[in-house]
Amino acid sequence: MSEVLPKFQLLEPGTVDEAVANLRDNPGALPCAGGTDLIVRLRKGLSETGTLVDLNGVGELRRVTAPNGGLRIGAGVTLAELEATPALASYPAILQAVATVAGPTHRETATLGGNLCLDTRCVYYNQSHWWRKSNGFCLKYLGNICHVAPKGSRCRAAFSGDIAPAVMVHDAWIEIAGPEGLRKVPLSEFYREDGADHLCLERDEIVIAVQLPAPGPVSAYRKVRLRGAVDFPLAGVAVACLPRPKGTRFLIAVTGTNSMPVMVELSETLEKDDDAGAFFSKLEKQVQKSVSPQRTGTLAPHYRRLAVAALARRMAQDML
Amino acid sequence: MNRAVGQPVPLVDGIEKVTGKALYTADLDSRDALVGRILRAPVSHGRITHIDTSAAEALPGVVAIVTGDDCALTYGVIPIAMNEYPMARDRMRYRGEPIAAVAAVDAGTAQAALDLIDVEIEELPAVYTAAQSRAPDAPQLHDNKPGNLEREVHHTFGNVADGFAASDLVREEVFDCAEVNHAQMEPHAALAEYDAVRDRLTLHSVTQVPFYVHLMLARCLEMDSSQIRVVKPFVGGGFGARTETLNFEIIAALLARKAGGKVMMRLTREETFLTHRGRPNTQVRLKLGMTEAGGITAVECEAVMAGGGYAGYGLVTILYAGALLHGIYDVPNVKYDGYRVYTNQPPCGAMRGHGTVDVRHAFECLLDRMARELELDPFAVRRANLLSAPMFTANGLMVNSYGLGECLDKVENASGWAGRKGKLGPGRGLGMACSHYVSGAAKPVHWTGEPHAVVSMKLDFDGSVTVLTGASDIGQGSSTIVALAASEILGIPLARIRVVTNDSVITPKDNGSYSSRVTFMVGNAAIDAAKALREKLVAAAAKMLEVAPEDVECEGETFFLRGSSQSELTFHGVAIAALAAEGTITVKGTFSTPVEAQGGGHRGGAVGSTMGFSYGAQVVEVAVDPDTAQISIEKVWAALDCGFAINPLAVEGQIEGSVWMGMGQGLCEETHYIGGLPAHANLTDYRFPTIAESPPIDVQIVESIDPLGPFGAKEAGEGALSGFPPALANAVADALGLDLNFLPLTPDRVQEALTKLKRANRRKEAAG
Repeated sequence: MSEVLPKFQLLEPGTVDEAVANLRDNPGALPCAGGTDLIVRLRKGLSETGTLVDLNGVGELRRVTAPNGGLRIGAGVTLAELEATPALASYPAILQAVATVAGPTHRETATLGGNLCLDTRCVYYNQSHWWRKSNGFCLKYLGNICHVAPKGSRCRAAFSGDIAPAVMVHDAWIEIAGPEGLRKVPLSEFYREDGADHLCLERDEIVIAVQLPAPGPVSAYRKVRLRGAVDFPLAGVAVACLPRPKGTRFLIAVTGTNSMPVMVELSETLEKDDDAGAFFSKLEKQVQKSVSPQRTGTLAPHYRRLAVAALARRMAQDML
Repeated sequence: MNRAVGQPVPLVDGIEKVTGKALYTADLDSRDALVGRILRAPVSHGRITHIDTSAAEALPGVVAIVTGDDCALTYGVIPIAMNEYPMARDRMRYRGEPIAAVAAVDAGTAQAALDLIDVEIEELPAVYTAAQSRAPDAPQLHDNKPGNLEREVHHTFGNVADGFAASDLVREEVFDCAEVNHAQMEPHAALAEYDAVRDRLTLHSVTQVPFYVHLMLARCLEMDSSQIRVVKPFVGGGFGARTETLNFEIIAALLARKAGGKVMMRLTREETFLTHRGRPNTQVRLKLGMTEAGGITAVECEAVMAGGGYAGYGLVTILYAGALLHGIYDVPNVKYDGYRVYTNQPPCGAMRGHGTVDVRHAFECLLDRMARELELDPFAVRRANLLSAPMFTANGLMVNSYGLGECLDKVENASGWAGRKGKLGPGRGLGMACSHYVSGAAKPVHWTGEPHAVVSMKLDFDGSVTVLTGASDIGQGSSTIVALAASEILGIPLARIRVVTNDSVITPKDNGSYSSRVTFMVGNAAIDAAKALREKLVAAAAKMLEVAPEDVECEGETFFLRGSSQSELTFHGVAIAALAAEGTITVKGTFSTPVEAQGGGHRGGAVGSTMGFSYGAQVVEVAVDPDTAQISIEKVWAALDCGFAINPLAVEGQIEGSVWMGMGQGLCEETHYIGGLPAHANLTDYRFPTIAESPPIDVQIVESIDPLGPFGAKEAGEGALSGFPPALANAVADALGLDLNFLPLTPDRVQEALTKLKRANRRKEAAG
């Protein structure tokens, strides 16, 4: 459908339990918070549903608390609210990532949970019904071929959320509510490398909060993009630096290059007597090797790989 | 002494816009309208073997369906190149071309009906680039255009061989400039209402050229033009996208007539991109000869444009590209070869800086490189080639006023060029370039012999002056220019003046807003009308004062006998006296272009001809990120000779807008097709700059006072655009030591070029 918002019923639960019950009782229902991703997809015919479960009235999703010296942020907190949350200053990567999402008006309504659950994106997918139909649809929706990698068997659409890598380098966990009750997983285990099914969410589950441990590492987030606003990341990188007696450890997570946010495996630490130049060159190479950008957008994948690795190196160097 | 003109004033329609009261086409009352939607071609090139609309017609809520069968007449802006049907008949030539359309009670029903239209298509091989299109065995898009050639141009002025022989340095380069789109803020929309009892049609549309739309509606609907009314509401930007009749305007009208009612057609952003008419991908091969002192001795230029599936403005674009090699520098020897070819993509058209931008880019880049080789300053090279007005160029273009030298002085000083160039440190650079543009085409597209512009003014019992003009204010401020002209000549405040625009049953015909014609032509017509009105007022005042008209003085709104302040008459009092003689007063002013401005006698010589050129110079400062190859624009200094700034506030805005749009094309804007499907057809993937990365722009206005311009004014809305991309490329060359022959300078391309440069340097070192 071309930009015509399809008809749906809107349910307005007041609690998480009601929201989960609404999802369970209405097969195919979709949860909707800020709507900046979902409503656009509905207009483009990328999702079909008879029921939207509006999470905006669920007060418990909109709270920020500070248990055990850490931070617990409700999934329904808007990005604009996050930007104005003083406690987030101790997690600079997250604050920076939040501020780079889309434009100011999107951030007024877009939520933390929505950004973590952002649909994967691809130039063959984020198009109108007419466009995709003319192109024979694709593996992610209604079709059976991935136009990005036709010989492969999985969807290569790129995860494009800015906040996930920033939260990951701060060792975050997320809380999930579902028909079976509450569960908690490290954010790094919340995603899988499949553009058509990248979230490890069971049926009728919703993300309700992010838990951050007490602040510790210095961190930063930068994204590669053509414009200073609006753009999804061509690639984005969060770096955290943990100075330890045995050597400085870096945590790096990358978005925009794969179907999930990628934690870069860095086994080595930077010791006092190490050749820093060699260490950072190796770090840059490791980032290059860890990511696999595809032709999911109009800019050369090779560039996205090189640029994000170079940024990671510079950010790590600047943290010393 | 000017009182009204030359002062910065907010646009007369600004309040409606900033308060949200302005009604754009999509805002018009459509409660009783059907929803129109268009079925579009799924393939790049194909033959329609069968269309069956019966299932769609049977869908409850569907009121009318039209297909190519409903209109057997072509439309187009150039009378000799009308080769487009509102909806494809037999052949479709680009993905997204309209095939059929539905009017239904709501959008959902209309969309469902489109899905029920059964179209059988025999797919044909397609071509997407100029090279594919020009290949010997290429599929042919139009039977009467062998080789897919819409128009070839071969113009030679002076003696190019002698020019090159007289030079000290000859260089040749090929530049590839990507296709770009206007991406105007307002998506396309049209509201069509058909009165079946009287056989009358009213169309509201987003157009820049209501007159041309009127003509094409009459043609395609085979209606007498007297039965058609075209209204242009507020328009949210045009930039050339709407300087010709567009398919959805005719389709909306066809649907309304068939439905016997009212149809609202709101196109999506994707459909707005599919309608295209942007600047074509252009390959420019440019060869320049230069003396040691920097004088240009010869120019040889070949331009190849991939124009899309239909002619549109194509032949004008390819002619402009050659014609505007002239008129900015002293170039007596010029050879130009232009090729406009068809490709299976949405048709290109006119876009701000029509025809000149990509060629100017090549020219200004090559000038800089040759200057470097000759160890000359870029400013010095431009100064070595200045014109001296009045003069006629080698191709017969009239240059009456010329402020380029002053523009150069201004940006050179303001940017601190002499002290800063080459001293900004690694990754930073300064670049400059010049540009120019016409103030309206001296010969219009539809040459009828009538005046180029007509403005009417009405004075009535209430003492107010109503200015009636068909000139389309599309945000550029033309209504304000007309009001200011009336205010200046009549000596009355803007508060007494209202401007009524763009309703074919009320306002005089105007050719439209394109080629920067409005200020010059409509401004002059407004002056002419105001003078006619003033003459009547002075005559009435003379009668009241019992003196000769030539003895009447007018100071502001007061009329009196020269040298006496005994009996002062008010404006309203004089107006009432004037009305006593003849009732409501209506006057008319016109403007026609002088014959000598109408270009050379060679074929295509009218294109590029104008009464006056604007001239611009700009300096761009960049910083390039060594890790991401991303270019950030630190600051821009732009000077424009607009003749005279009737409204300096609007001129400043237009210069900033031009610089900004040039920045988009230079940095990041481009279309991107996948097998003819636009991958860019939304505002996240068509990346025009945001305010976040927009630089401070230092604007300098230069006033050369054109002898024919209204109060000396020339155009101000386009001339500054084409200077930006080359100034940017020259700045990047300064920053990185890297000459780039493509647009836009996206970081992936820049990084690839940097890698190649490093590799070549290593090889050179190894060899040396």
